[in-house]
Amino acid sequence: MVGSPVLFVAIPLLAAFLIPLMGMIWKEFVRIIPGLVLAYMLVLSVSLIIYIQSHGTIVEVISGWGPPVGINLVFSPFSGALTTLMTFLGLLVWLYSHKFKRNVDYEPAKKYFILLMLMVTGSVGMVLTGDLFNMFVFIEIVSISGYGLTSFFVRRDSAEAAFKFLLMGAFASSFLLIGIMIIYTQLGTLNMAEIAQRMPQMDYHMKVFSLIFILVAIGVEAETFPLNGWAPDVYTQAPGPISAAMSGIVVKAAVYANIRIIYTMYDLQGAYEYLLIIGLITFIVAETAALKQERLKRMLAYSSIGQMGLAMIAFGIGTKEGVYAALFLMFSHAIIKSLLFFSGSYLVYNKTSKYIKHVNGMGKYLPITAFLFTLGAFAIIGLPPFMGFWSKLALLSAAADSNLVILVAVILVVSIVEAVYYLRVVNRIFFFKKRANTKPEKPTINAMIAMLSLAAIVLVIGFYPDLVTGLIERAADDLMDKGRYIGEILSKN
Amino acid sequence: MKKYIVLGLLAVLGYYLMSIFLLVDFGLPHFAHGVKDVYLSSSKNILKVSNAVTAIVVNFRGFDTLGEVTVLFLSATAMSGILYKKRHDIGERSILFPASSIIRSGAKMLFPSITLLGIYVFIHGHLSPGGGFQGGTIIATGFLLMLLTYQNYSVSHNRLVWVESVAGMLFVIIGLAGYFMKGSFLENVLPVGELNDLFSGGVIGIIYVLVGFKVAAELIGIIYTILHEKG
Repeated sequence: MVGSPVLFVAIPLLAAFLIPLMGMIWKEFVRIIPGLVLAYMLVLSVSLIIYIQSHGTIVEVISGWGPPVGINLVFSPFSGALTTLMTFLGLLVWLYSHKFKRNVDYEPAKKYFILLMLMVTGSVGMVLTGDLFNMFVFIEIVSISGYGLTSFFVRRDSAEAAFKFLLMGAFASSFLLIGIMIIYTQLGTLNMAEIAQRMPQMDYHMKVFSLIFILVAIGVEAETFPLNGWAPDVYTQAPGPISAAMSGIVVKAAVYANIRIIYTMYDLQGAYEYLLIIGLITFIVAETAALKQERLKRMLAYSSIGQMGLAMIAFGIGTKEGVYAALFLMFSHAIIKSLLFFSGSYLVYNKTSKYIKHVNGMGKYLPITAFLFTLGAFAIIGLPPFMGFWSKLALLSAAADSNLVILVAVILVVSIVEAVYYLRVVNRIFFFKKRANTKPEKPTINAMIAMLSLAAIVLVIGFYPDLVTGLIERAADDLMDKGRYIGEILSKN
Repeated sequence: MKKYIVLGLLAVLGYYLMSIFLLVDFGLPHFAHGVKDVYLSSSKNILKVSNAVTAIVVNFRGFDTLGEVTVLFLSATAMSGILYKKRHDIGERSILFPASSIIRSGAKMLFPSITLLGIYVFIHGHLSPGGGFQGGTIIATGFLLMLLTYQNYSVSHNRLVWVESVAGMLFVIIGLAGYFMKGSFLENVLPVGELNDLFSGGVIGIIYVLVGFKVAAELIGIIYTILHEKG
């Protein structure tokens, strides 16, 4: 074996503690080491994905105590695919911000890169862990780095956004802890596989209460409808790459947690319908809210919330096709929305207010960036031949297979709203005159490489979706097969 | 009106929370059958650690503790990032009035014993109640006392960074040693010794000492940053 899942956590933590010391030797180390670590994590996850195709799921025991006594990490086709996606995006976010933060002092730069690296690590940990309390710890790591990064530009608005996020996050953490505690008092274990196995023994009331607490808590991170008040503020105020990392990495991890809990741990009737309804509300509310936004990043934030609602709808359909569509949507949204955030932050670079009207006429001054933004906009609307088309098609056909015709209609109608607000921005970029007081900023080479590689993926997957469908299909199989998950982990004992 | 709605909602939430907790049979014999029996018996018989809480925190769930240490590290990092000022911008320590001579001589006398107590608590974390987090916090309160009492008392920032980083790295390195020597991260690689000895429990005692140093350094750093914030 080439490595083990535990290195996804151990190596970044070692590096995070090392960075302050290395920074004393040569200041560039604080920028370079996180990139090396993220690249290593990407290589590791790709090689592990190849390894598990022939050898089956890896269950990594920690501290020498097999499940359910100790903590374990699970690298299955599902968690592995998400890990690869997250580490890849993490590497690109690092690449994008490597030079972008050049004009920043040494101390804030050090903080920025440590927090960024640990945010990716925490998200990967959330996906890999097979232990409920361990997931709580990783959620804490992710949210605390999120608060710190949101207030990176020390300004009044960003402090407000970070504080809002902090309040919601602290609330969510205590709710999650209460939910975990209820489960522990009833079943005496924290291992997710054992909880899943023994869930039928649990008292019905306890089951419902604990699920409500956990869903509220994770719903905050996963941006589900009534709990996502923090998201637009945070996305607007955080640095551009961090908005991309939030929507591409953190939210994906939270949705994973949501799904793992509903699909694997609980056996409650009606949980799928909950996902379907809450996803539908999130989708409709967010997309209509995006329509009347005046700031570019705020619009992208609402669009990101809406896309997550779409993924929840797909999970809520509950069939294998639904899960497949949901995973495909998560994958394509992570790539496309990062591209949009990356290019969008350059289009409104020099203005702190980031109004949509500042993109007027940028097509002439920043042709490549503007083109990449347009590509991303077309892809996320779901126009063929881009990647977003295939994922939306998968969702619609999954809904149609389950005879949810009204759902298909609603999704299509709301997609028109989506098309309207994206095309409006594209129209402004190319067909409006540049405003006198906006100054275009050329992207750095690193940022250009990051954006171009994302755009290449959007196009290549658009033409050859078969490159990823196999992987996603295996991941969907893995998620649906609850018995095998329990068996694989508990047989490690 | 809004206030009453919020209060009403909170009351409903509180009612349901209470009714759940009344349903839990705290203290009854069948309460939480599960992993707890393994924890209790193996911490005494296999790990030779007399404080079962420490055995759970550092060994069975040591991975969580590593995560918690990281959470503290992140909070300290994020906070100093937010409160960061350029060098020439650092303000005076915000103390309203100077300490009286009673406090000054008292602080001088108390400081060594507070530090000693802190060190005692984290070295004996596997034998008696307490441990790295508690010991580190006690040491930090000693420094808080000194910083509040003496206007010109200062702590070297670089030294704090060194202590913090080296302690954190050694924690991960001990974990990796377990991974490479025994095949599982954070597994005990040292002989466990006799129950109730100071040198018992293998790496558990060492990890808790490291956690103590790290927590102390981080909390002192946080206190120092807050005290120097320009008001």
